[in-house]
Amino acid sequence: MTGQSTATASAVAAEPTTQHQDQASGRSGSSIELHGVTKQFAADSIALRGINLKISGGEFFTLLGPSGCGKTTLLRIIAGLENASDGEVEIGGASVTDVPAHKRNVNTVFQSYALFNHLDVRENIGFGLKMRGMDKAEISKRVTETAEFIKIGNLLGRRVDQLSGGQRQRVALARALVNEPDVLLLDEPLSALDAGLRSELQLELSRIQRRLGMTFIFVTHDQQEAMVMSDRVAVLNDGRIQQVGPPQQLYEHPENLFVARFMGHQNLYEVRQQDESGLDTCFGRLVGEFERGTHVLIRPETMTVVREDDVNAGPNVFAAVVRERVYRGHVAEYTLDLGNDTEIVATCNNVGEPMFDVGTRVAVKVQTSGVVTFHA
Amino acid sequence: MSSRGFHRGMRAFWYVMLFFLYAPLAVVALYSFNSINSSAVFAGVSLRWYAQLFSDETILNAFYNSLTLAITSSIIATVIGTLLGYGMYTYRNRRLGWLIWLVYLPIVMPDIVYGISQMSFFTSISNATGLFQLGLGTMVIAHVSFQVPFVALLIYSRLVGLDAMLFEACHDLYAKGWQRAWYFILPTLRPAIVSSFFLAFTLSIDDFVISFFTSGPESVTLPIFIWSAIKKGVTPEVNAIATLMIGAVFAAAVIALAFQYVRAARPRAAD
Amino acid sequence: MPRTQDARTQGAFATRASESPKRREPSHFGHLMAVISPGVIWIVVFLVLPSAYLMTIAFMTNGTYGLPRMPLTLEAFKELAGFGFLGWSPGNLYTLIRSIWQTVLSTSLVIVMAYPIAYYITRAPARMRPLMLLAVVVPSWTNQVIRAIGWMNILSPGSPVSDLAASMGLIPAQMGLFPSKFAVVVGLVYNFMPFMVLPLYAVFEKLDYAQIDAARDLRAGPIRTFIHAVLPQTLPGLLAGTVLVSIPAFGMYVIPELLGGGKSMMLGNLVARQFAAASNWPLGAAGALIMIIATLLGLLVLRRMGKKLGGDSQVVL
Repeated sequence: MTGQSTATASAVAAEPTTQHQDQASGRSGSSIELHGVTKQFAADSIALRGINLKISGGEFFTLLGPSGCGKTTLLRIIAGLENASDGEVEIGGASVTDVPAHKRNVNTVFQSYALFNHLDVRENIGFGLKMRGMDKAEISKRVTETAEFIKIGNLLGRRVDQLSGGQRQRVALARALVNEPDVLLLDEPLSALDAGLRSELQLELSRIQRRLGMTFIFVTHDQQEAMVMSDRVAVLNDGRIQQVGPPQQLYEHPENLFVARFMGHQNLYEVRQQDESGLDTCFGRLVGEFERGTHVLIRPETMTVVREDDVNAGPNVFAAVVRERVYRGHVAEYTLDLGNDTEIVATCNNVGEPMFDVGTRVAVKVQTSGVVTFHA
Repeated sequence: MSSRGFHRGMRAFWYVMLFFLYAPLAVVALYSFNSINSSAVFAGVSLRWYAQLFSDETILNAFYNSLTLAITSSIIATVIGTLLGYGMYTYRNRRLGWLIWLVYLPIVMPDIVYGISQMSFFTSISNATGLFQLGLGTMVIAHVSFQVPFVALLIYSRLVGLDAMLFEACHDLYAKGWQRAWYFILPTLRPAIVSSFFLAFTLSIDDFVISFFTSGPESVTLPIFIWSAIKKGVTPEVNAIATLMIGAVFAAAVIALAFQYVRAARPRAAD
Repeated sequence: MPRTQDARTQGAFATRASESPKRREPSHFGHLMAVISPGVIWIVVFLVLPSAYLMTIAFMTNGTYGLPRMPLTLEAFKELAGFGFLGWSPGNLYTLIRSIWQTVLSTSLVIVMAYPIAYYITRAPARMRPLMLLAVVVPSWTNQVIRAIGWMNILSPGSPVSDLAASMGLIPAQMGLFPSKFAVVVGLVYNFMPFMVLPLYAVFEKLDYAQIDAARDLRAGPIRTFIHAVLPQTLPGLLAGTVLVSIPAFGMYVIPELLGGGKSMMLGNLVARQFAAASNWPLGAAGALIMIIATLLGLLVLRRMGKKLGGDSQVVL
């Protein structure tokens, strides 16, 4: 764990994934560096507190956090729609801190799509090129190309108010992509769509990003969405970066309680006492060699739940009673009572064995590989 | 009271109210077609008063003055008011409380105060300098000053109703200040600008008091003509002029409405 | 990432305008002035300035032909209170009191009529609402004088309505319902109804029906439900409407002039007379000053209500 913790200890030091860059079609996206970016709206309202971040070219990077954590403000500062109170923004190695939005080669897909109602789809997509003074034939060619790429070639003649939510989303994406920006910013673009469409577009966005090799910065409050799409994720809370890393690292090795909770972990316990051979929690002793930490989390999918009689007492086996059972098809999720008002959640793959009913006395076996310690 | 009875009562009251609102206008129109010279007893249908009206030089001149006044002042007020409404929107987060006062002042102030203050002001200036002699010019100035706030508020409310992200999208899509104004704000506001022109137009046609006090001997408009005519009693001829003016206002109202709802009336696609 | 190299290649972006520790939003003062100054200057020069001039006249001396001159005095106000050459007479004070009374009466009637109408419109299907609002507003877009003529027709001697009133013994036979104080109040109510319906509609539209359900749930009767759950929510609209109706009604000129006789004269008529036949500008200006003060007080209320209504535009438009 020592090696991992140095990799994620500081956002700037984190090694970004660059595996997609070689697939880029001819060019690669620009890198972004933020140095001590701070945003203060009023004396008592600080949105961002000294953000340091390095996003490499061609990366799909996600800013994840609850509402009000400052993620959208950070995105707006990168877009140039908001000025930082302090700090520097660099795109492609050059400072753009004082460059206004319309001179930055950065485009945004807005949460509300912000399509122009007085223009049709073709004119909406071509708006940015027209503002830059490109000639009409070239605009038309590029708009058609981009629309085909985004699979909305058949919508070009439509009025905006004739489009469905998913179609609007694609038009907004095309309108940004057609400008071939160094960086594409996406501000919760999928939040208004229903679940099915949402997962379809998540995959498609990843596909598009990989094909173009463009740098994407995606803002969301949905950790599932962040995990599905991103090369790396920065978790924000209260204007500070809590942790930066690939989704797997955030989920399997959260660095603090906030990240652990935000990644969906429920089995979080205080460490009462710790030594070389294990640690004590409120429900008993976990035996194994763990990193030092004030808290411990146990991943639900690494536990085994068996009938009480089917297991011999031993290290890391705890008696429990089934309190709740949630059937999810491929897994069953049990909430188990460990005594002393302590509960633990365990998920079991549905491999055809009979499930345990509520009230059944069971034993739960914790694997040390599913145990992670960290400091609050 | 049962809820159904309550609802029926409300509906009945609504129709009574519509009757109350439209009866006086309907009566004016009715008596304008009266075959005898009375505005109390209706004897039969005739168009003689309309025929008389269109051969009366004074009335035609007054009509021409009214139209000139309304169109000129509405054009000026639409331009100035649109800019003001846009400014109020763009800088709505600044401390512009005084601006709101300034915009509401003409709306709330009784028109008699409006009229006499401008009359005494223009009279005193023209006595001293010869400028601003009472006439169509001073009437246009006076009308613009009460039309501007209405136009500004209409434009402002349209802008407030827009998604604020649209302004940022322009910025994001490389639009410079003038490009944003030309390619986004103006086309988006066009229906509101047209309907605010018609609103200003109806406000001008509607006004009597301010026109009355800022007018000169040469600038008699229709309402002023009617005013002096009915001092001797309401005649069917006056009813005929009034009917034409009511018709004009209704037409303007329909046009204003059509422009404002043109967007809402468009068919929408199902999601 | 080799920062320095990239900085050179993208030199155009590397403009660091200000190195001040705390960056400020760029100043848009020039732009602000460019867009708002035509309107602001127009209103200031052609409305605020004349009003200020009028207020000055109120403190000047009445000269020949009614034109004001120096020195500054309080004569006009004394005259307004009834002190003339011939000692004290109550005429002007009566006019003032009558103005207040007729304003209060017609504003109350407008409230009673507009309140259910505004509610009824909000409960109508969404597509109908703009049309219904328009139906209420359109008559007020016609000329004031024409609207008064409508009522002159309806209430004149020999008209069916007057005959009906006479047969019921309300007025002597062969008389009309106009000119009279009754006609003035009818005219005022007719004139100002829409100005009450619109702000009330704005508050009814945002009415929180959960509060009403809660009151019902707590077994409040219709009257208590209204007082505790509905009225407080609609109060901002009610006050805004009251300002929009009562201030212009207080200064009304056309309706008393046409529908009322000499005995129904209001402050507006008194003022107007001083600038026409009577030719006493300072006295007229003193009367107007009262109206200006009432206007400013009304604006104060309106500003407060505008904030509570959450926007400034819905109140009037």
